[in-house]
Amino acid sequence: MIGEISIRHLLMHEYIGTEMSLPKMTRLPSVRLLSSIHQHHQMLPPSVTLLTAPRRAVSQGEYRRPGKPKEDRFPWQPINFSFSKGVQGIKKHFTLLKKEFSERWVGPEGKPVLEHMLEQNRVMWEFRGPESLDQWTVSSDHEIGGQSEAYLKLGKNNNTCFLYGTLSSTPPKDGETRYSGYCTMRSKRPQASFDRKKHYDWSSFNTLHLRVRGDGRPWMINIGAETYFSHQKDDIYNYFLYTRGGPYWQDVQIPFSKFFLTNRGRVQDDQHPLWLDKVNSIGFTLGDKADGPFQLEIDFIAVSKDYAHTEEFAYELYKKNPDV
Amino acid sequence: MKSARCLLQLQCLTLVGQSTRSAAQYGALLRAASSRRVFRHFHSGPARPKEQPIPAEFVNGDDKKRDRSLVAHDDLFERVAREVKTKATFNKVVDVFIKNDVRRRGHVEFIYAALKKMPEFGVERDLVVYNRLLDVFPKEVFVPRNFIQRMFNHYPRQQECGVQLLEQMENYGIMPNMETKVLLVQIFGEKGHPMRKFQRIMYWFPKFKHVNPFPVPKHLPEDPVDLARFSLTRIANDRDAKVTVHQLPCTDVTESGEQITLPHVVGIQSPSQVELLAKHNPNRPLFVEGPFPLWLRSKCVYYYVLRADPTPPEEKVEEPFDPERCLDYPLQLDLDLDRDLGDEESFDVEDLDEGPVFAMCMTGLGEQAVLNQWISGLQEDNPILGQVPTLFRLDAGPRELQGATDTESFHHHGPEPEYQKEERQPQEEPEVTLEEEPRTSQRMKR
Repeated sequence: MIGEISIRHLLMHEYIGTEMSLPKMTRLPSVRLLSSIHQHHQMLPPSVTLLTAPRRAVSQGEYRRPGKPKEDRFPWQPINFSFSKGVQGIKKHFTLLKKEFSERWVGPEGKPVLEHMLEQNRVMWEFRGPESLDQWTVSSDHEIGGQSEAYLKLGKNNNTCFLYGTLSSTPPKDGETRYSGYCTMRSKRPQASFDRKKHYDWSSFNTLHLRVRGDGRPWMINIGAETYFSHQKDDIYNYFLYTRGGPYWQDVQIPFSKFFLTNRGRVQDDQHPLWLDKVNSIGFTLGDKADGPFQLEIDFIAVSKDYAHTEEFAYELYKKNPDV
Repeated sequence: MKSARCLLQLQCLTLVGQSTRSAAQYGALLRAASSRRVFRHFHSGPARPKEQPIPAEFVNGDDKKRDRSLVAHDDLFERVAREVKTKATFNKVVDVFIKNDVRRRGHVEFIYAALKKMPEFGVERDLVVYNRLLDVFPKEVFVPRNFIQRMFNHYPRQQECGVQLLEQMENYGIMPNMETKVLLVQIFGEKGHPMRKFQRIMYWFPKFKHVNPFPVPKHLPEDPVDLARFSLTRIANDRDAKVTVHQLPCTDVTESGEQITLPHVVGIQSPSQVELLAKHNPNRPLFVEGPFPLWLRSKCVYYYVLRADPTPPEEKVEEPFDPERCLDYPLQLDLDLDRDLGDEESFDVEDLDEGPVFAMCMTGLGEQAVLNQWISGLQEDNPILGQVPTLFRLDAGPRELQGATDTESFHHHGPEPEYQKEERQPQEEPEVTLEEEPRTSQRMKR
């Protein structure tokens, strides 16, 4: 829609920059992304200096985004048909299947009923070994041709995850992207046996609890939930994570009622609270306009039930832009 | 012609714009505007009031416009670019454009060019300039007059231009004011896209203005000592922490005529850190690590940390709580109550013990000599620093805080591969004897 507030600019209001375009990144694992700003540009009349892109021959095929590597292999070539990989796959899937069957005898989600109903805190992600890093995907604006870099590694003592890199807000020279300079880390969607999609059920919790150590930069937490309609594909619920910086760990508690709805980076007019029964992924994005190195250390991510927090939703639910 | 009315309203606006705005005034203005609509003279010429003569340097541009040749509006800005780029020159350019043609031909391109050039002139955070730019739009031309026009995105290019202007304001975090709203209503009407965008800005910006628990002021202190003071109090996480300026920046001229610049050294330490340091085992070394980055808006400053490795479990001493430390409530309760499953408030995560941090500092120059000065300054409050070996682990770039196991080599022993701490202990012994001399250089130069 024309004229919606972009979440990157919301952070901007408090801090200096937020060219954060990309909630979409936290939802889709695929490499190809269109920033919301980018899409917005397609409606823009060209600014004064017109750069005509050189026309491509039809034989070259589809438009290739600047950051995407050239693919000159046939589509079946990248697939790895090896026996050992097949055996590993079978082992993995059947153990998962066996676990699913045996867990049902214990109780819902593999825990006894009382524990499932009454538990107040649950640690969702803690980084205690290299396999915990496999659950996370890191991406940056390198995919659209920008110059930011982001890397993920285990922190010292193998106890924390360390996301670091450099941001650069020079936009890629593809003639349509205006803002750039972001990076993100998002969790992969939980999977049941045979790569079936699963989701997290956090309906008995109401607060997100993090232990982080940042460098003073403002981050944004993105939660992607399960949606039904196709236009809700890029719906992500966001909230800010302001780091203090310094050598001390910072405990952050964010109730889920504070998360506001955005689609492709644009804050929506019709807000509704995040439904916790089918949460798919969580992500962290950095997009303040400050060029330079960044680092964020995360100790653990947990959800908890705060009995003192009774707010259902922090934003107004009535229709804010009545029809013309 | 609407031009008469537009000009009258413009004058009206400038008059009202000088006073503080209120809803009543805004309403009155609109009512006045609508009432004037009755007096439309179709064929009357524009009643232009006496204008200031256009400055000589822009006369050529005017001629070009009257020729109606295709000229990009960047030209106007580029001509000004040869002079000093300030707000005044920017306003002059906008004035030239406004006075040139009452129909404001090419205003969309002009506004886009102006938006692009704003950062160069340094006016991108100035609301007054944005309002002036919004003023360039002709008024009431783009306001839809019936439901069909409202339905079909009346004057889409101009609406998009207005939205982009507001988007740039949003980008720089500038809150629009009543004048912006009045202008938008006069230009695009109440149901256009720019007005919607304005409404969204006015809804979301105030909601998120104070959402930062560690706010950074918009204008950071220029003085490095003040900046260091602010950032150290920020990262100290303790209100009792005391900031000490160990050295102020100054430039000295020695006898040989050389100029020596002494960097500033500002340190911070809280009483609990002093206590911890006093209890530290003198046999275990202390580490000065850094530089670590700290971002304040778009400025990155670096700080150094004095810390020690965590005490191994066998050396941990459980000190009983002193009941007289806090007379308001007991610090320790020996109750035999069981917590139910639903009352468990702690997370099932092992506690990370990275070792205590004893002090932080920020300096202008991160060299060992300067940090030595900091340590010597700290020694006044912490006499134990004279006996404890202090090792410097300074890195060229920003790094993460070290953990218990030393996996990085430090200057002390030169570039060596990782090895365990226990192995290093015997190697440290010779240094211990050397460093037990009261103070100054805590480590051997390579």
